[in-house]
Amino acid sequence: MEFVSPEGLRLDGRRPTEMRQLRAEIGNVAKADGSAVFEMGNTKVIAAVYGPREVQNKSQQMSDQALVRCEYSMANFSTGDRMRKPKGDRRSTEISLVIRQTMEACILTHLMPRSQIDIFVQVLQADGGTRSACINAATLALQDAGIPMRDIVTSCSAGYLNSTPLLDLNYVEDSAGGPDVTVGLRLLSCGTYGYTLGPMD
Amino acid sequence: MVVKEEEMVLVTPGEVLGKATEVKAGKGAYVAKHNGLVYASLTGLLRTLSPPPDSPDQRATVEVTGHKAHGPVPEPGSVVIARVTKVMTRMASADIMCVGAKSVREKFSGIIRQQDVRATEIDKVDMHLSFRPGDIVRASVVSFML
Repeated sequence: MEFVSPEGLRLDGRRPTEMRQLRAEIGNVAKADGSAVFEMGNTKVIAAVYGPREVQNKSQQMSDQALVRCEYSMANFSTGDRMRKPKGDRRSTEISLVIRQTMEACILTHLMPRSQIDIFVQVLQADGGTRSACINAATLALQDAGIPMRDIVTSCSAGYLNSTPLLDLNYVEDSAGGPDVTVGLRLLSCGTYGYTLGPMD
Repeated sequence: MVVKEEEMVLVTPGEVLGKATEVKAGKGAYVAKHNGLVYASLTGLLRTLSPPPDSPDQRATVEVTGHKAHGPVPEPGSVVIARVTKVMTRMASADIMCVGAKSVREKFSGIIRQQDVRATEIDKVDMHLSFRPGDIVRASVVSFML
């Protein structure tokens, strides 16, 4: 199947190094300490951050730093066919772990000992690149909550189809079977860009 | 401390605020050890505070004030107002509602031990005669619980 036309246009009319339209809002969830909605094209993700607050499970409490927890889930209606098991499956657990490790590396956890920071991310519309949209939304939500961080983390996916490297894959390009990678970058505090995560699907 | 005129500069985490040799990192800023630069750690307005004239360290302090005020956190030595929830033979559990004059956003729980209720005859304290669930007490925080 042709993903890049001879003129160099992708299925949705983008150039290979062109990203989808980005949209972000903060403060949507009034009850949460911080929240954000992030859209990358048709992928829409909402993140809510609670914390720093008292650790609920005292056995996990750390006396020198904050505990960061993350839960990724996809709404039943986020994909074309209604999803049976939105969270608890292996993919959600893996993505939750990846987001947690990424954000934990950036949060100044030593400033908030004996406390817990909860990051909840839910995919409302999935059209490829949900992992990246979740990291971007989580970064905004953490900043909205006023949690001290080393840096801003941004993320995007990339792949390789029809001998062309492509930026920001949508669902059709993602499921085409070519290699793809999601990269998280710490923007400002590194002299050269450094990556925090890079799983190859 | 004298505050310089506010320039309404908005900063985000990771922005360089200066060198550690020239400025001190206040609230909302941190020093990166590997290159000695001071970065912002919050999103908000940047303020530069001049140092007091008699201090040995004459570096200005940079701080970033976020848009959301965090609730206060009780620490050893702070005076808190709490509501008693459970009374047992040797201690009473209480939920802290205010730290100093500010109310907390998130509930903190603590305990009042039998030996901390009064200064004299501390072994003869009867917790059930001293407290009832629902009582409001003003207390001073002794320590964190492990």
